[in-house]
Amino acid sequence: MNTAIGKLVRAELKLMTRDPLVLTFVFAFPIVTMLIIGGAFGTKPDPGFDFTNPAHWYVASYLTVVIAATGLVMLPVHLASYRERGVLRRFAAAGFPRWSFATAQLIVGLVTTAVACALLLAVAAPVYGIPAVHDVWRVAVALPLGAIAFVSIGVLLGSLLPSARAAQAVGLLIFFPSFLLGAGGPPPHVMGSVVRKVADPMPLTLLTNAVREPWLGLGTATGSLITVAALAVAALILAARRTAL
Amino acid sequence: MSEPDVVTVRGLRKSYGTRVVVDGLDLAVPAGEIVGLIGANGAGKTTTVECIEGLRKPDAGSLRVLGYDPVTQAEELRPLVGSQLQDSALPDRLRVAEAVELFSTPRAQDGGELLERFGLSPRRRSAFSSLSGGERQRLFLVLALLNRPQLVILDELTQGLDPAARRGVWAAVRQLHDEGTTVLLVTHDMDEAEALCDQVVVMRAGRVLDAGAPAYLVDRHASTARIRFSMPDPPALLLDQVRRLDGVHEVERDGARITVRGHRRIIAYVGATLVRWEPVPADLSVHVPSLEDALLGLLDGDHASYVNHVMPDAFTPLGRELLGGQR
Repeated sequence: MNTAIGKLVRAELKLMTRDPLVLTFVFAFPIVTMLIIGGAFGTKPDPGFDFTNPAHWYVASYLTVVIAATGLVMLPVHLASYRERGVLRRFAAAGFPRWSFATAQLIVGLVTTAVACALLLAVAAPVYGIPAVHDVWRVAVALPLGAIAFVSIGVLLGSLLPSARAAQAVGLLIFFPSFLLGAGGPPPHVMGSVVRKVADPMPLTLLTNAVREPWLGLGTATGSLITVAALAVAALILAARRTAL
Repeated sequence: MSEPDVVTVRGLRKSYGTRVVVDGLDLAVPAGEIVGLIGANGAGKTTTVECIEGLRKPDAGSLRVLGYDPVTQAEELRPLVGSQLQDSALPDRLRVAEAVELFSTPRAQDGGELLERFGLSPRRRSAFSSLSGGERQRLFLVLALLNRPQLVILDELTQGLDPAARRGVWAAVRQLHDEGTTVLLVTHDMDEAEALCDQVVVMRAGRVLDAGAPAYLVDRHASTARIRFSMPDPPALLLDQVRRLDGVHEVERDGARITVRGHRRIIAYVGATLVRWEPVPADLSVHVPSLEDALLGLLDGDHASYVNHVMPDAFTPLGRELLGGQR
């Protein structure tokens, strides 16, 4: 693991643990909000939550919040900041291949997501318990596909936006509506029809459906899964084409 | 047979939108030499070196660096070039020792020794964001030299360094030269160019105004030396003798103060004359023409016609800008 990518991934993982934005937004924010909203609706099966335990509903939903926080906020700000300050030029001038930094960010984004998801489940387990996974394979496919899609979107945004401030503004503007309507906010059954029309096609809503429904035994969400897979492929290709430093 | 040039640039042209930044530039950097690129802000120096490093794609022209095309063979070329870039940074939370490890290749020399040589050993565990401007520059120099490059490109090398640190960095560059490394140095600092460079290329509006050894440029564009001294009642014979000395252009008297101007050899002749007319004046001072004077001469000379044609009325202010901070 002493190649350019290996060295960059090691360095970036180390730097991630020193970054307050990552520690608060990707690790702490999903856990804190999951604990609050999971407690707000109690643990008794509720028709508004397809007759499931509301706390379990949110535990099964919040892994995608981690994925979205990584892809929509952490990576765009990180990459745009590096571009703005000339860090990418320095890496390029030092002989790191043009594609190596974006590839390293993809790997770092996926590792961050995996660690933050594990931490979220570790916190949820003693408080609300972890709901049984009804369809392990679909969940196991949907989560990595969603992570690839959102991490690729993050690399893409980071390569397009001119400054860290712009990346932060755009990232938060996309993240919070996605979070409230597609994963961590009220359940779809309590939303009005117009709000549902807005929420349903959002990438984070589709990903959350593709994870939550097979997890809680509410359905297969095949359509959502296929759309997330298509999004992952498209975002990955676009991100790969934008890897020029 | 002489070694081929390490850098060869022919007809380089680069524009940003409608603004032409480099306009048909030719440049050769011979192996083992320190070549300085000097010129005002906006002269096209940094864009030129960024094209040489393969960080920018030229609009026209041909470039060969260590035998490679920096556009199509950047990945082969970059490990052989050590770069200290203007306006670049490292990740804020990356520590000094981690940066050395990250940028090391299998060709790398002992990073610890380099850190010691540039006074950064005590800062090994410090984050990049906590380093002073001078420490950052020295770290960039360490990283530029780390992998035993065949060509080192230094852009505004000593910007932000205090005089002592600047002298230390100059000594390091001289050592590189002694070891046979080729150096391309971009600078505003005429003292730096004069102290370090074997050859200097003066750039203006994306073109080369003149090039050559600093001494050649000084001789060509600023050969006039100035000697000043005071004598309350100078003997007419002395002044007459001084006027007739070989190379003297002008003798000016303002009360007790006498100013002699002429070719730099008058320094010896006037000195010898004054010694014969004891006592030697206590306030005797000599101004020897420098590269800075040469640059002013160059900008005020015939070469200015091109610039005046391209940017009328802008010549004198830009000449001052070039020397800004020096006077």
